[in-house]
Amino acid sequence: MYILDEEGKDLLSTVKEFCEKEVKEQCKEYDVSGEWAEEMYQKAGEMGLNAIEVPEEYGGIGISRTTYAALYEEMAKADAGFFTTMAVTNLTLKPLIIGKRDDLAQKAADILINGGYGAFCLTEPMAGSDASNNKTTAIKKDGKYVLNGRKCFITNGGIADFYIVTAMTDKEKGVKGMSAFYVEKGTPGLSVGNEENKMGIRTSNTTDVVFEDMEIPEDCLIGKEGDGFKIAMQTLDMARAVMGIGAVGVAQRCIDEAVAYSKQRVTFGQPIGKFQAIQFMLADMEIKTETARQMSLHALKLQDEGLPYAKESAIAKCYAGDIAVEVALDAIQILGGYGYSREYPVEKLLRDAKIFQIYEGTNQIQRTVISRAVMGKF
Amino acid sequence: MEILVCVKQVPDDSVKIGLNSSGKPAVDGVTMVANAFDTYALEMATRLKEANEGTITVVAIGPEKAKDALKSCLAVGASKAYIVNEDGLGDMDSLTTGYTLSKAVAKIEELNGAKFDIIFCGKETTDCTTGMVGAQLAERLGIGCVTGIVDIELKDGGISVKQETEEGYNVVETSLPAVVTVNKPAYDPRYPTMKSKMAARKIPIGEISKADLGVEDDKIVPSVKVISLSEPPKKQAGVKINEKTFEDTMAKAMEILKDAKVF
Ligand SMILES: Cc1cc2nc3c(=O)[nH]c(=O)nc-3n(C[C@H](O)[C@H](O)[C@H](O)COP(=O)(O)OP(=O)(O)OC[C@H]3O[C@@H](n4cnc5c(N)ncnc54)[C@H](O)[C@@H]3O)c2cc1C
Repeated sequence: MYILDEEGKDLLSTVKEFCEKEVKEQCKEYDVSGEWAEEMYQKAGEMGLNAIEVPEEYGGIGISRTTYAALYEEMAKADAGFFTTMAVTNLTLKPLIIGKRDDLAQKAADILINGGYGAFCLTEPMAGSDASNNKTTAIKKDGKYVLNGRKCFITNGGIADFYIVTAMTDKEKGVKGMSAFYVEKGTPGLSVGNEENKMGIRTSNTTDVVFEDMEIPEDCLIGKEGDGFKIAMQTLDMARAVMGIGAVGVAQRCIDEAVAYSKQRVTFGQPIGKFQAIQFMLADMEIKTETARQMSLHALKLQDEGLPYAKESAIAKCYAGDIAVEVALDAIQILGGYGYSREYPVEKLLRDAKIFQIYEGTNQIQRTVISRAVMGKF
Repeated sequence: MEILVCVKQVPDDSVKIGLNSSGKPAVDGVTMVANAFDTYALEMATRLKEANEGTITVVAIGPEKAKDALKSCLAVGASKAYIVNEDGLGDMDSLTTGYTLSKAVAKIEELNGAKFDIIFCGKETTDCTTGMVGAQLAERLGIGCVTGIVDIELKDGGISVKQETEEGYNVVETSLPAVVTVNKPAYDPRYPTMKSKMAARKIPIGEISKADLGVEDDKIVPSVKVISLSEPPKKQAGVKINEKTFEDTMAKAMEILKDAKVF
């Protein structure tokens, strides 16, 4: 349950209608083919969904975090791949704001408002959980930075209009030698590598992004040299609560599908929903989902209030990711053999749910963050 | 160009509505939306405006809540909106609606300081389905009317429209001002953008009361009296024909049809 004002309710009903009519059914086909749903994304861009987090000062709609959370849940309910594309696109503005690069943030905001996409390139073949182990280099030369390296698992990698890229400006300094850059699509030396053939969220685009002697102007550096790791981590701290909401959307869809099915499937002369065994499963699914929703909202609310939120964001993302998988498994169980069939929507929900335990920091890494916050240094 | 689109707020037509215990349509709790044909009319008007120039005003007769329908119109092409408060207008039939709308048109023209060139209506509403209001409005205004159009363009200072009929299409040209009523065109109404939706909420909606309209009381007495309402009969359970061979099945089917005096 979201507590929204009239404006928020209005936006929610608009997004809900759009997702019902333009996303939910359409995604079935793209889940199979793994192709880019051009028309769907075009319409979403026109509607402004690529830019729902853009603050008013950059020409965005400037809605509250609670409101955009409600909108994101609708998107994730319809299709978690669609949600991922939109959430990551919106995320890419954060490092520019954190790094106090108003000029670049404005540029990026204009792109998003016009239906364009951003990508956030941190992960590398040898740097996933250990993001500090970036091998990509950025060498300053004649007033320019020259980047070399390979990023992998980059959401929107093949479709982005701009990229936020981390690279080592000073290898000797470890994480303190990592910097963040703003890179425009079409920069010579930038290319899109292998596209992942994924288990789930197949309507999102995930690719390698490769830099070969890619030159970018000096002022594409976000913040100072050495700020890159900090900027990336702060970005993820903020974005994790949104990922929690995405997982909640998948879990909610599981509940919706399971409830509808349990009222209609008859065994032993009555709908299976009349069996307490099924009722209690649904109750547990609801307990988990609503708890995850409120935890995610709480983490966002802390951001609103300017209070520390890193631990709560990690809890939200971790818990929501875990329960989304559990709830998806339960939904399949409630649908029995039909749940296991590709003819029914719930097997896709399990494949989609799984990503929430992996990206933007695996749930083991979230637990590391949380335990560190709980235990402190000792 | 000044365009007016008349919009009625109706219960969501994707919901099946029965009768309540007092024999009235059970619309409590059903979401109210802008009549589908009116949204087609607005989309057509918006495309015409975008291809040429002009402003679109929307008007609704209804309760305070009908402002929601107007707000949704303001997010997808209209830039001004007026609500005619239904208080004192009593039960309305299509005749009194056409008359009241004609008074509203005059009032809005006075407020706007400009005459409307084209007035768009949906071809019918999804709740009452009389399909008469547009024509009656034109009659009251003393201007021409083309019903059931699916396309429109400006031509020689007037309009050329494609009218859908049972047999095909008529291309009709007329001078302006005129009233057109709109059928489902080849395209869907656009979605609002997040931005237009928020902007629409900030546009004030003009309020027009019965007194502002200057309607004559004897002209708002409905001519149609609803004696009773009934739900469509429930679909009967079908007959299963389960003969052994295809021939026997066909023969049995023919027999049943004959007994039912279908032919
Ligand atoms: C679909 C998809 C989209 C993605 N989008 C993006 C994106 O847009 N941008 C981006 O930068 N990255 C993105 N990623 C990358 C993602 O964030 C990483 O995959 C993730 O951080 C894990 O890194 P890894 O795959 O290298 O796993 P590894 O780091 O190799 O981990 C392997 C396993 O070991 C565990 N593990 C590792 N270290 C520890 C430890 N210290 N303690 C306990 N357990 C540990 C992990 O939890 C995991 O279970 C995406 C990934 C996917 C699959």
